[in-house]
Amino acid sequence: MPTQSFILPLLVLVPLIAGLVMLLPLPMFNDRRNIFHWALLATLATFALSLKMAFAFDFHGPTFQLRGLTPWVSQFGLQFGWGVDAISLWLILLTTFLMPIVVLSSLTAITERSREYYFWLLLIQAAMTGTFIATDIIFFYICFEFTLVPLYFLIGVFGSGDRLRAAAVFFIYTFTGSMLTFAAVLYVAYHAGWNFDIEAMYGAARSLSGTEQAWVFLALMAGFAVKVPIWPLHTWLPLAHTEAPTAGSVILAGVLLKLGTYGILRFVLPMCPLAVLEYAPCVGIMAVCGIILTALICWVQTDIKRLIAYSSVSHLGFCVLGLFALDRLDIGAHGAVMYMVNHGLSTGALFLCVGMIYERFHTRDMEEMSGLGRSLPVWSSFMVFFVLASVGLPGLNGFVGEFLTLLGAFCSPPEVLGMVYAAVAGLGLIFGAIYLLYMVGRVIFGPTKLPHVHGKLNDLSGREIVVLAPIALACLVLGLAPNLMLDTLDNSVAQLTGPAKSQLPAAVVQKEEGTEAPRHQGTEGLVADAIGGPWSLGASVPWCLCLDPPVPSSEVSR
Amino acid sequence: MAVETLKFLPWIPLLGAVLCAICCTSPALRRLAGAICVLSVASALALALGVYFGPQSQAALSGTTVHALRWIDVHSFSAGFSYYIDGLTMIMLFVVTGIGALIALYATGYMKGDRGYARFFFGVCLFIFAMTTLVMADSLVLLYLGWEGVGLCSYLLIGYYYDKPFAVEAAKKAFIVNRIGDLGFALGIFLTWTTFDTVSLHEAIEKARHILEHGGEITTAMQCIPFLLMAGAFGKSAQFPLYVWLPDAMAGPTPVSALIHAATMVTSGVFMIARLIPIFELSTYALPVVAIIGTFTALLAATIALTNNDLKGVFAYSTVSQLGYMFLGVGVLSTTGGIFHLFTHAFFKALLFLTAGSVMHALAGQLDIRTMGGLRKRMPVTCWLMFAGCLALAGVPPFSGFVSKDMILHDALARGLHGEPLFFVLAIAGLFTALLTAYYTFRLWFRVFMGPERFEMGEEHGHDEHAAHDEHASGGHGPHEMPWWPMNLPLVVLAIGAIAAGILAEYVGGEHGWMHTMIEHSTASVEHEFHGELFGLSLHSVMVVLSLLIAALGIGTAAYLHWLRRDAAGVLEQKFAPLVKLLVNKYYVDELYDLAIVRPLRGCGKFFNLIDDYLIQGFLVQIVGGWGPRLVGYVLKPSQSGRLQSYGVGMAVGVVIVMVILIFKLTGN
Repeated sequence: MPTQSFILPLLVLVPLIAGLVMLLPLPMFNDRRNIFHWALLATLATFALSLKMAFAFDFHGPTFQLRGLTPWVSQFGLQFGWGVDAISLWLILLTTFLMPIVVLSSLTAITERSREYYFWLLLIQAAMTGTFIATDIIFFYICFEFTLVPLYFLIGVFGSGDRLRAAAVFFIYTFTGSMLTFAAVLYVAYHAGWNFDIEAMYGAARSLSGTEQAWVFLALMAGFAVKVPIWPLHTWLPLAHTEAPTAGSVILAGVLLKLGTYGILRFVLPMCPLAVLEYAPCVGIMAVCGIILTALICWVQTDIKRLIAYSSVSHLGFCVLGLFALDRLDIGAHGAVMYMVNHGLSTGALFLCVGMIYERFHTRDMEEMSGLGRSLPVWSSFMVFFVLASVGLPGLNGFVGEFLTLLGAFCSPPEVLGMVYAAVAGLGLIFGAIYLLYMVGRVIFGPTKLPHVHGKLNDLSGREIVVLAPIALACLVLGLAPNLMLDTLDNSVAQLTGPAKSQLPAAVVQKEEGTEAPRHQGTEGLVADAIGGPWSLGASVPWCLCLDPPVPSSEVSR
Repeated sequence: MAVETLKFLPWIPLLGAVLCAICCTSPALRRLAGAICVLSVASALALALGVYFGPQSQAALSGTTVHALRWIDVHSFSAGFSYYIDGLTMIMLFVVTGIGALIALYATGYMKGDRGYARFFFGVCLFIFAMTTLVMADSLVLLYLGWEGVGLCSYLLIGYYYDKPFAVEAAKKAFIVNRIGDLGFALGIFLTWTTFDTVSLHEAIEKARHILEHGGEITTAMQCIPFLLMAGAFGKSAQFPLYVWLPDAMAGPTPVSALIHAATMVTSGVFMIARLIPIFELSTYALPVVAIIGTFTALLAATIALTNNDLKGVFAYSTVSQLGYMFLGVGVLSTTGGIFHLFTHAFFKALLFLTAGSVMHALAGQLDIRTMGGLRKRMPVTCWLMFAGCLALAGVPPFSGFVSKDMILHDALARGLHGEPLFFVLAIAGLFTALLTAYYTFRLWFRVFMGPERFEMGEEHGHDEHAAHDEHASGGHGPHEMPWWPMNLPLVVLAIGAIAAGILAEYVGGEHGWMHTMIEHSTASVEHEFHGELFGLSLHSVMVVLSLLIAALGIGTAAYLHWLRRDAAGVLEQKFAPLVKLLVNKYYVDELYDLAIVRPLRGCGKFFNLIDDYLIQGFLVQIVGGWGPRLVGYVLKPSQSGRLQSYGVGMAVGVVIVMVILIFKLTGN
């Protein structure tokens, strides 16, 4: 299928070129509506392309498909390599699905400098898609970093209130993290003979000693954990979300945060299996803390947008928990991928809903409004629907991811996570219901109280319904037929979690019992090495908080 | 009809819900919602009946798995829309769709003219979908879907009058308290999966039964599963300590209270334990704990009901109390008794709530029974319908409530007499609760319908359509009887059930009666048979006599204090003022929860929010990110002066330092 391998670069190039064309001094772009239509057309075309990609993808075939390669600076081994597996396929679909919606939602919100605005939107789409199609770590990293620039401008120029500070904090915070990621990438690439291809990187990283892997792990995680964000590295997020324009929030919550979890799944898990096992309990504890503490924080917010922003932190804790579950059947990882897409849909939709309220009232303060159900029934129905999706009501999409990630953590081997993690994280289900229903009770129910409105207060317009309805439909479809996605993930997920799982004591023992199974090169040495990782976490990992002290792997393998 | 057709059953009400949702969008269609809802629920009932009386019923109805759709599959973990049909399922389907159809019919009259008419029936249809899914589910995850689904509908319908802050609070409380139980349930499902390697209900039950019958290692996990599932059951079925949401849930429209918070949803906890009884039997302590909690809740709720002056409140607490009996039933392994009581309770409690709704409707929303009296002349039909319900609730033989409650208490007593003193104590507590039940039930009835006539109209003036309809019926102001169609007729059917369902299900159909046969052909069947003797009489006869005596005593006291000598009741109230105060305030449990759980958690939230805002946002961003670099810059700035000589000095110093290090290194070696 040589022709089809062009689909993927087109996914990046179409929005990129459309954005650049928009900057040309064409008379057509002097009209705000023309710009809007141009951007809408470009995003819709990209969505159509991504559907073509989905149909061209053979779900029973090899994991990476539609691959292609183009040299860049071949002297240094730099190249653009692309391809998709089922995981990135779904995330690309999420991105291309959300972008036309985001553009459509901006029609009335952005009235000035719209050429600039849509340019940045198209650019960020190109960058996000680029990260998902990259099979070459430099390509990935460039796109990963480049997402910061458009968002910096989207927040800084089109945001509200304290937008400059928010943009700066956002930029510096995430940039600092990803510099460390870059260092790790270079270190591994050095061992791979300056080959940045993802498979080569996997191989090179896995052959590193335990200590080295631990450092690589920490450095990679520095960038990804800030992006996710994993508690306590989340503090840039509420600020950025609150001040960002609606579109920025939707993109941020919908897709950009997933770059972090995607990065963990794509790079961290397969690259440093030893360190993953070593640090999984620590990450697990951070995820659980994040779920619970930020859920409590949500409860005391008065700004709706800030509440939803914090809820993202809480929700992504489940996702991280699922990623690090490493359970036998990969239930956790399946759930985590599902969660990425689901969270993108439901939280994105919540931000859209809040944006619509902000456009009407110019406030997001819950104390100033109440009983909107009476005056805005259609909006309220959508809002309640997405809140329920977010709360994890079975039958809607949120449930599937939440359930599977928790089940994964519950089934996770005791050396990694375990029942206690799932049980404590499960409290997040209760707190999630508390803060979201608190918001619904405050804003939608209760006696009617409206902030001052200029002119007549209108319920959702046709355009706004068209914005929300597709997301609602997607929530329903993924909630009732999650197998559409789950069935496709098996191979891709197994490939990414496999290396770490094969290092589990049980797996190592099994391997050594089976005579034919090739022994992992120097397993014993690696495990012993891993025990002397940075800050020598050693056999008593993780610190004093460890709930199920792992059996020292070296003992088992003996 | 073949048993497989049952897989379409839940989807009929869902279709109804979709249609009702469409009706919501246009005022012209709004009136159709009621009819759509009644029709869809009635057709679900017809389908269930059709299958039950179908040609191949008996064999198929004692345990068939019907696969409908796939849902969540990850490798060998598989949870689909698959249904398990057995006797228990059929009983529950009859209750849910049968009572549901009657209540929906009543509601078409009750809710007439309300602006949320279509929204209401959307909720009811959705509820029937979730509830039928719950009772039919084979996969535990699907059961969980129904479980959360009914919770959602309960939330939406309690909060139906969403501009009343109390209703909104009550709805939220119901959902959240239920969620607490649901967490336990979810963890129970997880543990079932890791222990039995399946989330299919019948497979897990088979494995558990295999261990029970053939012996086998009972692991700690198996001991724990019932306790986790129990949490879910206690949340949904409003048992101690999670019962607090149910009394508040009465903020919803009365048909909702009757359907969801009396007849069907709140009994799903009992259903779940009965369904999974072999898994509960694996654990040594699980079932006794269920029995203890059930009895305790029954007693606790009955005492609160003694002094409650709210028409619906009394019935709400009595529901909590009766649910306690059901838990006692399944707890003493009398699953037949537990489910039987669930069955009869659905009739008489729905009847009681709906008649209470009629009274409330007639009095424009008045709920305080202290303002009522002698309404029997104005509302004769309602009066005597409620009387039938009260007799059943009070456990007067041979009304249906007696037959089922008797079975539970009899089995508990029999086990108590066979050397299990715990159950003896529980049975005695159950009998004492029966006394309280008879008293508070008739206290309410005498207060409302007997004595001199008096009433105060409530604050709901009704809507335009409503007022017109009121005047039609009564030709003036003041309370009036409800019309036969569509309101009183369904009540008559319920009343017949309340009077006769017990006797019929106990003595007709099969050797041991219909109920027994159905339960025997289900996952809820247990091996044990309980018999006993007391004072030379068979325990059954003793129970009949005891029940009669207790009911007579309770009703007599109520008649004396609340009909014949109302002043005496006042004197008594004065005498026990502190106790009454404690009861009226419901033992201050809500306040306690608020103080012990809600406030600390909110405090934590505020605390962590502050940390986020100031410590991290302020310290990290302002100091480390802002002042730190600036300070470094400030310190180093003078060195970048641009003067050549200072650069030269700097360079020289640098060279000297490097040389010194080199020299030391060289000489050191």
